[in-house]
Amino acid sequence: MHYTIFYGLTIGAILYFISIGLSLTFGTMRVINFAHTITYTIGVYILITFVIFFKWSFPVGAVLAILAIIPIAYVIERFIIRRLYGDSLDYTFIATFAVALIGVDLIKWIWGPAPYPLSDPIGKYLILFDVSLPIYRVLMVISAILLFILLHLFFKMTIVGKIIIAALDDKDGVRCLGINVDKYFSLVFVMGSALAVLGGIFYAPISSIHPYMGLAILLLCFAVVIVGGMGNLKGTFLSAFALGMLMALTARYWPQGAETMVFIAMAVVLIFRPIDI
Amino acid sequence: MSEILVADRLSKHFGGLIAVNKVNFSIMADEVTGIIGPNGSGKTTLFNLISGFFPPTEGRITFFDNEITHIPPYERVIKGIVRTFQLVSVFNSMTVWENLVLSSIRFKEKHVSLRKFFFSSAKDKEIKENCLRALKLVGLQSNAQALTSELSYGSKRMLEIGIALSLNPKLLLLDEPLAGLSDGEISEVIDLLKQIKKNFTLVIIEHKISKIINLVDRLCVMNEGSFICEGNPDDALCNPVVRECYWGKREIS
Repeated sequence: MHYTIFYGLTIGAILYFISIGLSLTFGTMRVINFAHTITYTIGVYILITFVIFFKWSFPVGAVLAILAIIPIAYVIERFIIRRLYGDSLDYTFIATFAVALIGVDLIKWIWGPAPYPLSDPIGKYLILFDVSLPIYRVLMVISAILLFILLHLFFKMTIVGKIIIAALDDKDGVRCLGINVDKYFSLVFVMGSALAVLGGIFYAPISSIHPYMGLAILLLCFAVVIVGGMGNLKGTFLSAFALGMLMALTARYWPQGAETMVFIAMAVVLIFRPIDI
Repeated sequence: MSEILVADRLSKHFGGLIAVNKVNFSIMADEVTGIIGPNGSGKTTLFNLISGFFPPTEGRITFFDNEITHIPPYERVIKGIVRTFQLVSVFNSMTVWENLVLSSIRFKEKHVSLRKFFFSSAKDKEIKENCLRALKLVGLQSNAQALTSELSYGSKRMLEIGIALSLNPKLLLLDEPLAGLSDGEISEVIDLLKQIKKNFTLVIIEHKISKIINLVDRLCVMNEGSFICEGNPDDALCNPVVRECYWGKREIS
């Protein structure tokens, strides 16, 4: 049981890393970004390029992957997402889904369709409550909690953070303060993409790396964002870990139903709290 | 008095609908202009054109003799055109004080120095004074640390005006500032507007004509996207075309 709880925390951490960007993008720009996990997938492929092909160390590959995704995310935001501001949600859905599909094909073209394995870069275990836990996964959970605290401080203490919070409330109101809110949307988008890549980097060694890995996790992240409230940072954190735990517990007793359970939880939230969404 | 803003043959079409139709309009310095008209007559669209939220279909706008037709809303604010919205626009997840600090910070995005990175730069004397001045004008001193979402609608409206004032506007556009307020709150807003009208050029869209009649120097009446009358408030209200548009033909016959 201890292991199941720990496994739930691990999934929660991954879902949190990836969902923040999705939540912020919807909260500020009102764009449902199906292309969100394509930057995540590309980031992971950049990581394996450095780690598997160039034989560089994992941390160096990870930092380079995050840095490499910044210009890619900026280009996607500047030339695709920004054109969708103010459009209806179905347009944003179709356009960003197209970007995701193009991205998947691009990955297949560059790296091939076959999956790549990546081993745990630490490979050591921590014994806690008679359970041996991979240190790598412990680090993952700790990083998610640290990130939550750092983001909280960022949004509370910096001017840029306050502007983003204000834009979540009312973006036209921010324009009326003489602030070029579009620039902050780019920042939010790039930041969200970089955090998603961080999630991908953590997730890659414990899952398989393939061109569709982003699409597989995207729907789970949407469930996290809907349950947590779109643009609600604290809600995203809590919902990521709650749904992660729900997945782990369901998987223990009914392995086939783990993902289904997440969507049942989402449906329940939609039924009982429809106003925020 | 000199013209500070001039709209020349300004139009806005939404598909087949002509919301604003070749309007020629000017705003005089230090004057209070009221814009009235039935629902859907194009008043708010005109505000959206002046403040840059909609690009015009045709026509041009100049502000202090500089053309501003195609510049984005935030640059117009920096030039001094500040507006409020029909549905009050404040930042609910922040305190009243933080709302004012954010608007007072005059965040020059090209010069993000580390000192300006942290929100605590709001302790700067200049920013603090600006916030206090606005807070005092709108009478929300006792609510400074309250979360904005907890304020009454009337207080939120006052805060919205406070935010606009803290931006030190040259031209302040108020879109139905009395909408949704109780009688008591309406008098508070009117008193505030009377107090600030000496220092700013104001344009007010309002449905409650009787409430603003003593406030405005000039009244413009819009109908179906055009100005049907403008001038002295009493004359404008006696104009038969205006009366027909507001009260129908039977009233004037």
